[in-house]
Amino acid sequence: MKPYLQTSFSVLILLITLLSSTSVLAAKVTVDSSSWGSDEGKACVDCHSKSSAGLTHQWKNSAHAVANVNCLDCHQAYEEDVDAIEHEGSIIATIVSPKDCGRCHTQEFKQQKGSVHTRALTIIKNRMPALSEHFGSPSINDAGCAKCHGSEVKVRGDGTLDPASWPNSGIGRINPDGSVGSCSSCHGRHQFSKAQAREPQACIYCHSGPDSPDKSIYESSRHGIMYEAHKKDMNMDSDQWVVGKDYSAAPTCVTCHMGAAGKMKSTHDVGMRDSWNLNEAVSKQQYLVIFADGSKRELSTSEPIPRRGESISKMDGSMGKVKAVASPKRRRGAMTKVCLECHSKGFSNNAMLQFDNVVELFNEKYGKPAQAIMQQLYSDDLLTPLPFDEPIEVTYWNLWHTSGTMARHGAAMGSPSMTWKGMSEVGSNFYGKFLKQIRGVAGKQKGDALIKKYINDSEHHDWLNHPEKGNPVPGFGQGISHED
Amino acid sequence: MKIRLQLPAFITRHVLFALLVGGISGMGFILFLIEFDHYTSSEDFCTSCHSMEIVADPYRQSKHYKPDSGVRASCGDCHVSEGVLSATWDHFIGGKDVINQLKGALIGPDYDDPVVSALHLPEAAFAARSWFKKRDSATCKKCHVKEAIYGTRPDTNKIHLEDAKHKSCIDCHYNLVHRRVPHERTFKRAAWNAMIESEFGLEKGTAKKMMAEND
Repeated sequence: MKPYLQTSFSVLILLITLLSSTSVLAAKVTVDSSSWGSDEGKACVDCHSKSSAGLTHQWKNSAHAVANVNCLDCHQAYEEDVDAIEHEGSIIATIVSPKDCGRCHTQEFKQQKGSVHTRALTIIKNRMPALSEHFGSPSINDAGCAKCHGSEVKVRGDGTLDPASWPNSGIGRINPDGSVGSCSSCHGRHQFSKAQAREPQACIYCHSGPDSPDKSIYESSRHGIMYEAHKKDMNMDSDQWVVGKDYSAAPTCVTCHMGAAGKMKSTHDVGMRDSWNLNEAVSKQQYLVIFADGSKRELSTSEPIPRRGESISKMDGSMGKVKAVASPKRRRGAMTKVCLECHSKGFSNNAMLQFDNVVELFNEKYGKPAQAIMQQLYSDDLLTPLPFDEPIEVTYWNLWHTSGTMARHGAAMGSPSMTWKGMSEVGSNFYGKFLKQIRGVAGKQKGDALIKKYINDSEHHDWLNHPEKGNPVPGFGQGISHED
Repeated sequence: MKIRLQLPAFITRHVLFALLVGGISGMGFILFLIEFDHYTSSEDFCTSCHSMEIVADPYRQSKHYKPDSGVRASCGDCHVSEGVLSATWDHFIGGKDVINQLKGALIGPDYDDPVVSALHLPEAAFAARSWFKKRDSATCKKCHVKEAIYGTRPDTNKIHLEDAKHKSCIDCHYNLVHRRVPHERTFKRAAWNAMIESEFGLEKGTAKKMMAEND
């Protein structure tokens, strides 16, 4: 039995997870309105409508302005804050962190705090230089990677923000106040529009290109096509945005990954409904572990399921007490609930099964054997530990990461063309380059032995054992019947 | 007939002589002060101490040194008041820096050491800012006229006339010409020390030790 099928107490646990979510409306701010609208802040507007008219105009059109929230309500800081600066007599901070937004938006802050998005930098901080700096330089990191993953914002001794780390609105940004993330990743400054964040475009800023080709996937999925055709019916500005109640024209990224559906509440914990990890060399189903302090981490189902009250390591390496664990099945259940607003149970489950089958296929046919061979090459000292200094490492990276991710994400979000594009790239890479490079690195004899062990003897690659079998593939001369 | 100037009886020859000598030396003294103030306000004089390089280097890159118009403001144009008495007074007060410089060369802290001068820069900046503030930015206003500040942004003039109406130049422009130093209210000594340490490749904690030795 697969571990994620162990139901045990995971039902209860998902309930806890979901109950900690917000209402179907954007959570109402419960902070008393007397705590904002600072008089000192009103003066900012006079000058800024001249010095930075665009920014001020955006704010004037925002819900904040309507609610009387002014510049200083968000930008106020204390003298002792590391990033505090004096500006026109006020003590302010340039960066408004999620913790600052959370002064009023308590619910959203709580959910965001534990989400996979806030781990976008910590999870790859030590791995990032291998790719960005070997292929580029630290400047690529600052202007590329960190724009999505986030930077660790450094405040210099003269009070300025290190230009390598700011400007940055990456979703996993480590802020001077210790909080992680950036609300303006999705809710662009200074209008902070709900509608903008509900647009696929808000996600596409990062979820496009080789690491996460979700733009092309969504656009070539039925959902994306419907969105494109019925944009005007999306009711994006609506205060409440429940699928089936407030809109039904098409689902956007937000609909499935965060949105309210039926009785299920919306959440700012964006990865909560994802059962698979699709961005690893071999995909694994993931538990969501919720700690007593509200922080969360994912845990592969190949690990033993943690018990309530048990202490396990948190994302930052410190130990935390487990409060609840949501199984991959429950996470999938939450995602499927959204499907059910438009599709039948059978339809939804079958669509999920087709997706799971592609992931399993990738794992078994390519992910696992490629990983096993690479590990063997490393342990036999045939490859240096340094990533990307040998061409086979680049091939392997493109295989599981670039193309493999495309295939798996494509299947997850219903784009047949991207699923196939990804998988056919994986195959071309695997048979066309990777096998040859294995022999190049390990020598013919050892290479052949490795290939036999991990590839030829696997049912997925059994076709390689029958070179005599022709097939009328277009463009190939062999196997074509000349009778007609 | 001879005309004799009838002077009061107490104006003796001695008195006349004393008046003459006193008058001439008084004028001489005033002329000396004018020349002294003028010379001691010059860039050449100010930068004759190595310790001044920390402020002189950024100044030489600044708009006040290299303006489009060619009108250069020298050290004293900003940091010394107008008028012989005020200018002399400013130099008299500034004399403590000379004493510190000389004392430092003998018993420390040695302000010619670029690390020492970088570590002490913030306090110097705070003192200079408060000097400007007390004088309502008088030396700025010798050249700059609020009504005539057009800047590069379309609304710079409006901002100066409307929003900065009751403000003194130094209230906003306290990080001009020289190296940036945070406002006194948000200044953090530990962060400043860490920055200087990393700039000079010093071990962590060196700055604190140096500062303690200096006290």
